[in-house]
Amino acid sequence: MQGLPADQQQQLMQAIEQMQVRDSLRMYNTLVERCFKDCVESFRRKDLDATEEKCVQSCCSKFMKHSARVGIRFGELSSEAETQMQQMMAGQQAGGGK
Amino acid sequence: MAQQGGQDPAAAIEMAKQEMDYRVALFNAMVSSCYEKCIDKRYKDGELSVGENSCIDRCSSKYWQVTGIVGQMLGSQGGMH
Repeated sequence: MQGLPADQQQQLMQAIEQMQVRDSLRMYNTLVERCFKDCVESFRRKDLDATEEKCVQSCCSKFMKHSARVGIRFGELSSEAETQMQQMMAGQQAGGGK
Repeated sequence: MAQQGGQDPAAAIEMAKQEMDYRVALFNAMVSSCYEKCIDKRYKDGELSVGENSCIDRCSSKYWQVTGIVGQMLGSQGGMH
């Protein structure tokens, strides 16, 4: 992104923001579906009982912590890969071709 | 990724967006797959255990490596367009 002029950078920032909103909504729906599937089994009553409610809370908590941890690892793996790529390209330029 | 100076600006933005879409999709797939593989669904509490944490770390690493291998294989089969 650094290579782009200012107005394009802004365009890109807006696109990123839109993507984030869309992705938050998508995550919300995914999480609801997942926790419903994992926690709700019986339909003898129309209200969630205490067990189901606690299960859903735990499910949400676990998923969000999991997602955060994967996010950290993803970032590390990403920047590691980028560093390797840069080293490789620097090596190619210095060595004068493949 | 690429840094071509004289490139058409619309194309550059489009490429950046596609790169972002790809990375977001990759991240979501990684979260989803590692959740299935690592997390105990009994939900005894809202915390991740030590075992689950280790599993998540290793799963992320392996997922990334698989991404690399698949990329290589697809590349050598004559392009990904």
